[in-house]
Amino acid sequence: MITDQPIVLGIETSCDETAVGIVRGRHLLANVISSSVEEHARFGGVVPEVASRAHLEAMPSVIAQALREAKLSIDDVDAFAVTAGPGLIGALLVGVSAASGLALGQGKPLYGVNHLSAHVAVDALESTGDIAPAIGLLVSGGHSSILQIGDITQDVRTMGQTIDDAAGEAFDKIARILGLGFPGGPAIDLEARSGDPSAIAFPRGLTQAADLVAHEFDFSFSGLKTAVARYLAQTPNHIRADVAASFQEAIVDVLLQKALKACAQTGIDNLVIAGGVAANSRLRELAQLRSAKAGVHLSTPTPALCTDNGAMVAILGSLALEKGAKPSEIGICADSSPGLARVIF
Amino acid sequence: MTTSLVLDTSTSRTTVGIVQDGAEIAHFHHDDPLAHGEVLPRLVAQALDVCSEVDEVIVGMGPGPFTGLRVAIAFGESFALARKIPFIGICSLDAIVPPPGTHDYAVATDARRKEVFWARYEGGHRIGQAQTSSPITLKLLDIPIFGEGAIKYGLAQSEHDPYPQVGGLIAAARNGTHYSTPIYVRRPDAFAAPKDVTFRPMNALDLVSIFDIEKRAYAKESWSMAQLKEELASKNRWYLVAEKNSSVVGYVGGLCVHGVTDVLTLTVHPDFRRLGIARELLRRLIDWSRTQKATAMMLEMRIGNVEAEPLYLAFGFVEISHRDNYYGPGLTAIIMRKDLT
Ligand SMILES: [Zn+2]
Repeated sequence: MITDQPIVLGIETSCDETAVGIVRGRHLLANVISSSVEEHARFGGVVPEVASRAHLEAMPSVIAQALREAKLSIDDVDAFAVTAGPGLIGALLVGVSAASGLALGQGKPLYGVNHLSAHVAVDALESTGDIAPAIGLLVSGGHSSILQIGDITQDVRTMGQTIDDAAGEAFDKIARILGLGFPGGPAIDLEARSGDPSAIAFPRGLTQAADLVAHEFDFSFSGLKTAVARYLAQTPNHIRADVAASFQEAIVDVLLQKALKACAQTGIDNLVIAGGVAANSRLRELAQLRSAKAGVHLSTPTPALCTDNGAMVAILGSLALEKGAKPSEIGICADSSPGLARVIF
Repeated sequence: MTTSLVLDTSTSRTTVGIVQDGAEIAHFHHDDPLAHGEVLPRLVAQALDVCSEVDEVIVGMGPGPFTGLRVAIAFGESFALARKIPFIGICSLDAIVPPPGTHDYAVATDARRKEVFWARYEGGHRIGQAQTSSPITLKLLDIPIFGEGAIKYGLAQSEHDPYPQVGGLIAAARNGTHYSTPIYVRRPDAFAAPKDVTFRPMNALDLVSIFDIEKRAYAKESWSMAQLKEELASKNRWYLVAEKNSSVVGYVGGLCVHGVTDVLTLTVHPDFRRLGIARELLRRLIDWSRTQKATAMMLEMRIGNVEAEPLYLAFGFVEISHRDNYYGPGLTAIIMRKDLT
């Protein structure tokens, strides 16, 4: 390992994970996550106030744990990074305030970074070379987007996104209807393994010619949710594993159709799949098959780096530092609006 | 010489100051109920330009509207961590200073939703804890009332400075009660205890159900019936059970000796996990430990206990050491500790 590379500590609190990661250059040193998912489970979704409280409660011990894991003192850190948006505003504020306290306390630079970019940037921890140019398929409980990445620290554009539910939300909702619990992604993934993905032909949202005019790279999953609910109501003797497998197939199919189409249309032959749903085994399996066929190089970060984590924030900060990007002004304005206005705030 | 950085974001005002041996050498504030996040770091940067060496951070822990309140706490805690200096949390109401010569009074800040956070003071000392009430109930108090909430709801006789003051924060840190967690006062609706679950001390009749849960949760490593009986009969221990539909679904046990509580067990029936039962059991054990005047809590957890670890981290338990092969060959125990301040 090269030891003279800068050490960056990244903080992520945009949703329900309080996470701190530490990198040295492009090497991961620590990745600590404290999740409040247990508290949200009984509401079937994330409750903003519960998440914000948990972030504040966990923050000091998560920072301390990350430093211990990296065998570093806070004085060794050269720069800080924090998710400044998009996300839940109260939750973001805890992370941004904590990061500002660290940066001002240490007199070191702070990079407020975009959460969506960070999800894709995490790939730099596992691949050599640069990420760009690439198409990013970002799928999680909070977002479903196709990103076009020129330069990961400044040139990231949204080609398409969901017009209703996020892919992860669709998993959660269907899991609840099927009685599989929260969070729904892993539960459906597991149930689907014993089911037949071609048993039921669920609709593929926004793939018809008429929809493609305005929504070529956008997603819609609410129709799929309705279709599953209707199927269950009309089919008393349904096989749960088949429903789970067929539902999962419909989502995965649309995600990959559009992502690979984005590759073809832009002539970019790199695809990075990230976000919590990227841990889905069927998505990984089908992505491998289809991108090999299309001659596209596929990167899928390890599942632990796919869900929200601090390492992705730290690495994006580190890449910004490496490219000489200007640090954020003191007093970063956390931004809850969805999308991708800025990469570095 | 002690130099203190003081911060408060519990009202619509963001207050930052630096005090050196009782003398205010820097003081900045900004009034905007929605901008604490951007404003606080800027004001702190200005204050550090005046004096960058500080020995302690003093922060108003509330009560106050939650989102803004957390800004100063999150910032202050990590600033203290970055500088390796003490963090002192105080009650923000204690920092609202009445006019000279006023000894018996109340302080009320705006809690939104047509309520006030308030506390009563006699001889300059707070009586009891901060509370939330409808402003109307404060009209019955036959004493002067100060603070932003008092002005907003027409309870104040004068426009006397209604915000926490730099000097008030210092005075509260020197003479008042210290707080290590935010003073929320109002539990958000979402934080109600787990639904349809009741909690009560364990008795001998519970042992059969507990033995059954032990076996399901820990298989071969579960406690034997004899061990359970002995535990229940032993001194300085406290066992609490969670009950749902008249059956025991979880339990927690602690042993308090010489001011330290050992968490002996925290177990929830596998069919009733993810309902917030473990969290509530642990919360109650912490409360009990405080009544026993414990200053710390310790526990042992197997490395890789993915379900329990986030819960303990969220409650502020910190890993202090490892014990190799504690749970058998290759199974390492993590010793965690939480300070009760
Ligand atoms: Zn995310």
